[in-house]
Amino acid sequence: MAFPSDENVIIGLDRADDAGVYKLSDDLALIQTVDFFTPIVDDPYWFGQIAAANALSDVYAMGGTPKTAMNLVAFPAREMDLSILRQIIQGGIDKLKEAEVVLLGGHSVEDKEIKYGLSVTGIIHPARALAKKSLRPGDRLVLTKPLGTGIVNTAVKAAMASEQLAEKVARLMAALNRDAARIMADFDISACTDVTGFGLLGHLAEMVCGSNTSVRLESGQVPVMAEALEFASMGLIPAGAYKNKEFREKMIVVSKTVPRALQDVLFDPQTSGGLLISVNQIQAAGLVAALKAGGIDDAVQIAEIIDSPEEQIWVI
Amino acid sequence: MKEIDARGLACPAPVLQTKAAIQEDNPCNVRVVLDHAASQQNVQRFLESQGFQTALEQDGSDFVVIGTCDSTSSIQPQPAPTPSSDAKKIMVMCATDRIGYGDDALGLKLMVNFLRTLKEMGEELWRLVFVNNGVKLAIEGSEVLEDLKAYELAGLKILVCGTCLDHFDLLEKKQIGETTNMLDIVTAMQLCDKVINI
Repeated sequence: MAFPSDENVIIGLDRADDAGVYKLSDDLALIQTVDFFTPIVDDPYWFGQIAAANALSDVYAMGGTPKTAMNLVAFPAREMDLSILRQIIQGGIDKLKEAEVVLLGGHSVEDKEIKYGLSVTGIIHPARALAKKSLRPGDRLVLTKPLGTGIVNTAVKAAMASEQLAEKVARLMAALNRDAARIMADFDISACTDVTGFGLLGHLAEMVCGSNTSVRLESGQVPVMAEALEFASMGLIPAGAYKNKEFREKMIVVSKTVPRALQDVLFDPQTSGGLLISVNQIQAAGLVAALKAGGIDDAVQIAEIIDSPEEQIWVI
Repeated sequence: MKEIDARGLACPAPVLQTKAAIQEDNPCNVRVVLDHAASQQNVQRFLESQGFQTALEQDGSDFVVIGTCDSTSSIQPQPAPTPSSDAKKIMVMCATDRIGYGDDALGLKLMVNFLRTLKEMGEELWRLVFVNNGVKLAIEGSEVLEDLKAYELAGLKILVCGTCLDHFDLLEKKQIGETTNMLDIVTAMQLCDKVINI
């Protein structure tokens, strides 16, 4: 399919990145993204916050600063109490306030199923937009949030998770990637993406495809919610995790020493997951220390980029 | 044989239905029928977590998990970890990329042969460390790269000296192993039972 384009498109549809980037002038580019989904938690206020954090994340993953947003709402207004919708939107607004982003408008439609999300616009210097497919050999990969939200949410759905755990995972999903993005701006970063529906290995595979490099992932270093491992070994795994695995299996080699439950978590679809940052190896420890000092306690080095054109992911 | 029909259900419902059926009458043999490969995998994991031995089958378009309780092997803790913790831990440290002095080509050939034969040590081979000129075995173009990759995938931890890579300006050329420092190397020496120096 041929997409309309012009010479100011820096990152467009052909690149399939986290967000589109369009140059307005020599020192200013626009970042645009949109994301919406059906409720992933029961509490409408939490759902609103998570949907907003998730939509904003694509701008952060490009290294940009979100500025404005528009609501996208689908709601069964005839069958459901409007106070539920109000709580969802309040959650979104509160998250936008935290991110210092203004809400300029929105659009709603009548629908059988609730859906909420936002279209977000941000800004960045045209030369500083962080694509996902520009991995540099020798770089280290840093992940900023623990994995396991898909599996834990499945356990919540199965009524097998405690209330405290349900709240813990909601808070994790609603946490903004803003601080991580701000902190990484001071470092030599070659590529960045955020971990969402394809799981860690799925998004890593997207970065590796076409990069002419390979990745060596140290599975033991990957931050994981302990409960997710436990639920995974009981089979409380969302179907999406198996789809993610099937889709990318050919480019991933997993050591037989990696436990099955951990393998499952590496493919677990995440909602509003952390940033996956490719940083100059000399600065990797410094970036992790700065992230931790900035309150991002789970930030850790998990992999390294290898100068090997096979475009494979080695999980050891 | 307890039959459980979990077709038409989305995750995690098949696991919950299987869980309820097992809790209800504690069967020793179960057969769960599902209509998704993902549900089949999940029910298999669940049954195994409950101490069942499992087998997977396909029945037309349906996916089947057969579970058999095996009280002798699965309820009791596996004795497997004991022998491996008794096994010796051997650390091999290569401070050169060739063995011996004299003919360099022969020395390199011997080193390649040495690294390939190391696997005969089996599970006792615990760490493989490259320092000084040895780091050149872990960079692109090395003849033993594929062998080292196979070792790493089999669970062997390979350490490559960062100071040495930096000295030879090879930091970006390293293809295998974890870049390490002297503290890691000294700690590994202290933890292992035997260090073999090449």
